[in-house]
Amino acid sequence: MTTLYILDVPENTPVAKVAAEDPSVTVGRTGPYFEISAAGAIVVDRRATGCRHAVWYSAVGGVARDSRITQHDKDALRVEPT
Amino acid sequence: MTELGHRVQGVDHVAFPTFDPAATVRFYRDVLGFPVVHSICAAGWGPEDHPDFIHFFFDIGNDDRIAFFYYFGAGRDIGGEPGVKGDVYARFGADVPEFFVRSRHLAIHVDDEEDLLEYRRRLDASDWPVEMQIQHETIESIYTHDPNGYMFEITRAMRPVTPQEDLDANLTIDALIDVVSEPEPTFGKLLARKAELIVERAADWELAQETGR
Repeated sequence: MTTLYILDVPENTPVAKVAAEDPSVTVGRTGPYFEISAAGAIVVDRRATGCRHAVWYSAVGGVARDSRITQHDKDALRVEPT
Repeated sequence: MTELGHRVQGVDHVAFPTFDPAATVRFYRDVLGFPVVHSICAAGWGPEDHPDFIHFFFDIGNDDRIAFFYYFGAGRDIGGEPGVKGDVYARFGADVPEFFVRSRHLAIHVDDEEDLLEYRRRLDASDWPVEMQIQHETIESIYTHDPNGYMFEITRAMRPVTPQEDLDANLTIDALIDVVSEPEPTFGKLLARKAELIVERAADWELAQETGR
């Protein structure tokens, strides 16, 4: 299982929206955070989000202990099960 | 998060030494238009070999002030060897990374983009043009270095801070304190600890916000 949390603020909304386009990904909520989860990897394409770099590189609020970030660069954010 | 009364009222003043008071006055008063609001002319006295000095203040809005010390007879060498990087107070070698040199700085707030661009115009017409204009996460800033080498930032909020950002900041800090109390803190460990705190506290926080309305 892969789970990451993204704070629901206007700059971050596109990240959750793009993540949700993958049918294997579920976007729920925990308080004011988007809870983005999947059985396998979660991949978000940065260009699809339109996020400028300062937003992109500070968008992740938390990553569950059974998951880890394996890519977070100008192209994509990839979170995978450990 | 705290029960302690919050009684403080912002910055009274922040103070820096200068070896070039003429350029400093030109930058802050004549270019930026920050009024001179206070000064102290003091003969050196006390147990140390204290030089005579002028302590002068500029209004940075909101009755807050930036202040400088000019010490008569003091050369730049009283602060040690000249640095390849840094300013007249903090001197660094060529090998010190730029992110570290820039980490300590003063940012002055403006209300909106119009005001930010007005200060950009003033700086660009001076000997200290804007070196960078950057949209960060939720603020936009302009940067230059003042005549003393101090990094100078003016910034505006692109939107108001939301309540959930205060929650997020507190979860970050609690997670940070936890991970730095363990060996080898990393960003990955912080995000893992923060995820736990989100699960523990974020839903209750939201409920409290809703019932508080």
